[in-house]
Amino acid sequence: MLDAFSRAVVTADAKGSPIGSSDLVALRKYVSDANKRIDATLAITQNVSCIAADAIAGMVCENTGLTQPGGNCYPTRRMAACLRDGEIILRYVSYALLAGDPSVLDDRCLNGLKETYLALGVPLTHAVRAVEIMKIAAVAIMTETNSGRKMFDGINSGSGAECKEIASEAASYFDRVISALS
Amino acid sequence: MKSAVTTVVTSADSAGRFPSASDFEAVKGSFDRAPARMAAAEKLASAIDKVTADAVDAVYSKGSYDQANKDKCARDINHYLRLINYCLVTGGTGPLDDWGIAGMREVIRAQVLPTAAYIEAFAHIRDRVCVPRDMDQQAATEFKALLDYLINALS
Repeated sequence: MLDAFSRAVVTADAKGSPIGSSDLVALRKYVSDANKRIDATLAITQNVSCIAADAIAGMVCENTGLTQPGGNCYPTRRMAACLRDGEIILRYVSYALLAGDPSVLDDRCLNGLKETYLALGVPLTHAVRAVEIMKIAAVAIMTETNSGRKMFDGINSGSGAECKEIASEAASYFDRVISALS
Repeated sequence: MKSAVTTVVTSADSAGRFPSASDFEAVKGSFDRAPARMAAAEKLASAIDKVTADAVDAVYSKGSYDQANKDKCARDINHYLRLINYCLVTGGTGPLDDWGIAGMREVIRAQVLPTAAYIEAFAHIRDRVCVPRDMDQQAATEFKALLDYLINALS
């Protein structure tokens, strides 16, 4: 597993050169954005059930057949598995976001996920839709553009736009999940 | 690779939980120390050849080591300094552990390397770091701690 720092190290080691001023520019940005990054991750961790459960519920609402007999979320045991998976994917996205590098998401979550779902008969299009809803919800909460109340309490919270760049990074991790499943 | 953030993520993952408040504290602490570490890494990167040459010259000028090994010694010192540069960037000993220290004893024994010369060279570098001429106090502390860590592993 890598983070933004160790990613730079692995890249530099491949060239056999030390990490100098030019490589440190991106890392300094990562460090100076630390509070925003922590806030963006807090936006996820403080709203796990809201993001994950609502996304699954939303996905089911769009496809009501899923919870009927014969549907993939019937009986409740399978619905519960679906809710659990939504939360697991969200958890790995939160790790990647904190680390500033997708390797933890790739290695520990996405590698083999599509194959597992295919083998278990999980409909990928619906899984993708649930991840899409999670992405929209997570970004809205991070950037504080969700309607209604403020949804997380962080270092800079209350000043929504602060997390904008990090939110687009978070969106890229959700997109990674989507493309891994597509 | 081990760094403050990956350590936190690994333990959170093995417990199957989202990052907690204490995890955020740990990450934040590492971010707070990062500017000093990166300053030290930057200084070291820009002077790595000079530092190496200076240390190797100092050690080999005493005549207690075989001059034929001087080039190889310089190459290795440079290599270890590069790993220390990486450690300064990651904020952990991961790069030194994984790429420098793992298997080091076996290599040293197999090739009969003069580790005493290496230790002397690293100690020379450590003692020559001048605050604030070379780097600021906090950066120098991080740098010296890593040199000591390596010296300890070599001894």
